[in-house]
Amino acid sequence: MVDLEVLTFLILSAIEVGAALMVVTAKKLVHNVFWLAVTLITIGAIYLLFRAEFIALIQIIVYAGAVPVLFLFGIMLTRRKIMEEPHESQ
Amino acid sequence: MSGHLVDLWGWSHALASFILWLLSLPLELVNWISFQATGGPAPGVPGLIDFVTGEGLTAFVAVIIAVNILLLWATAFHLLIIMWIERKMYSRLQDRRGIMIGLGSAEILRNTLGRIPLIGRPFRRPSHLGTGFLQTVADGVKLFQKEVITPATADKWMFHAAPVMIAASTLMLFVAIPWSDGFWLMGAYESRVVNGAPAVVPVNPWGILVVLAAFSIAPLGILIAGWASNNKYTLLGGMRAAAQLMSYEIPMLLSIIALVIYAGTLDPFELVRNQTAPLTYGLGPYGSLTVPWVQNWYILNPILWIAFLVFFITVIAEAERIPFDIPEAEAELVEGWTTEYSGMRFGIVFGFKWLRAIAGAALIVILFFGGWSGPVFMTLDAPNLAASGSTYSIPILFQEFWFTVKVYLIFIVFVWIGWSVPRVRIDQILNIGWKSLVPLSVLSILLAALARGTGWF
Repeated sequence: MVDLEVLTFLILSAIEVGAALMVVTAKKLVHNVFWLAVTLITIGAIYLLFRAEFIALIQIIVYAGAVPVLFLFGIMLTRRKIMEEPHESQ
Repeated sequence: MSGHLVDLWGWSHALASFILWLLSLPLELVNWISFQATGGPAPGVPGLIDFVTGEGLTAFVAVIIAVNILLLWATAFHLLIIMWIERKMYSRLQDRRGIMIGLGSAEILRNTLGRIPLIGRPFRRPSHLGTGFLQTVADGVKLFQKEVITPATADKWMFHAAPVMIAASTLMLFVAIPWSDGFWLMGAYESRVVNGAPAVVPVNPWGILVVLAAFSIAPLGILIAGWASNNKYTLLGGMRAAAQLMSYEIPMLLSIIALVIYAGTLDPFELVRNQTAPLTYGLGPYGSLTVPWVQNWYILNPILWIAFLVFFITVIAEAERIPFDIPEAEAELVEGWTTEYSGMRFGIVFGFKWLRAIAGAALIVILFFGGWSGPVFMTLDAPNLAASGSTYSIPILFQEFWFTVKVYLIFIVFVWIGWSVPRVRIDQILNIGWKSLVPLSVLSILLAALARGTGWF
């Protein structure tokens, strides 16, 4: 019989490690921020698996809610172009 | 004391058992045929029957059914009614009648049922005399039929992911909001002492915090939706929306902290139970003043009025309703961050703003207006079929009714404010948020701590 908790933990860890790798390898900066949010929310889910409900919720409020949005603001306020222009990418 | 009508988990469990029993019937038939033919059970089938009708699978299916009931309750029931209320209300404020397409407007009904002498009267009326409720349904059907367009230069992957994030974070709000003592998804039954008597009551220690966490994920989805459309209007709308939601989340959290310091719990059930007690004002060393016949709603406590004001304004801002709807200022930004979405995807990103407004109104009712508490004028005593001899009292005005009425009244106030005041400019929005609401919410925390520390109020 498979231990469901261990299985859930392994799946969540796989998602988290994959998303963390995508944070550093994705080409577009906004994609990096999206994967960062995925990583942080998955960490919250792992806290939930450890029955630490309070720290899971605080993780989601503070990290998943605020940090990626601040990153996005930073990117969007400092870069000249929001995306590559179509004629440049072709 | 009022009772609840819906028992979500009990109903889901019963329905799950019934469905699984239906599924196990063919297996029983196979077993029966096997008994007739060979005199023994079919190999493997009895174990399969035990698994299908067993407790594990039943509980799993019950969870799925409960989630779906709550989803339908939020979207198919509340969303349609709230859209109808909003459109009728603002039409009244503009001195016109608003949408009026009803059942009587359908040609086929007017020509068939309308011909019947007496009963057909409602269907013979002119089409402009309906209540207009079917207009919202027609709009939903229209959105389903429209083409789903993806802009050529959009970031396809993110463009498709953003509505999912927005919908998921909005529906997460409804996971933690209970609609009565029996109609809740998140929580557990525990034995507690309520008003001096032991009782088995639902508890959910982190309920309010889950709602706040769901509110805090929303800006990310909106900002990504605005960016991925690759359109200047959507990007501006997304930036404005994210800036507004981020800055109004802080006073929202702080004003809830004021209430939590005063009430001493984050549990929505506990908050509502506290508010069903008689109204009591603490008088410090002089004891306390109890007002009979009035429930202890937190809105009646002057110490929490600042927290209520801040929370009310921030809920309007979090739902992007009119004084703070600069993210979709249609005069300058077409439709804000939802501009490039079409078809039902537009329906999701646009309609879920109403869902956020309902969730905000429900939160206001739970925190300040006594939740689902209310007087019950009559109960109907029906014989309890499960245990003979006992009766099962059905409340006539049940908790879900009170809660829904209160939520809709708060929502009507939202509409009333929204269509009476002009739109606030983006820099003014941020000024109000950071320079007025944050200090006010800190002041309300101070007042609540003072009230707890000294025993006054």
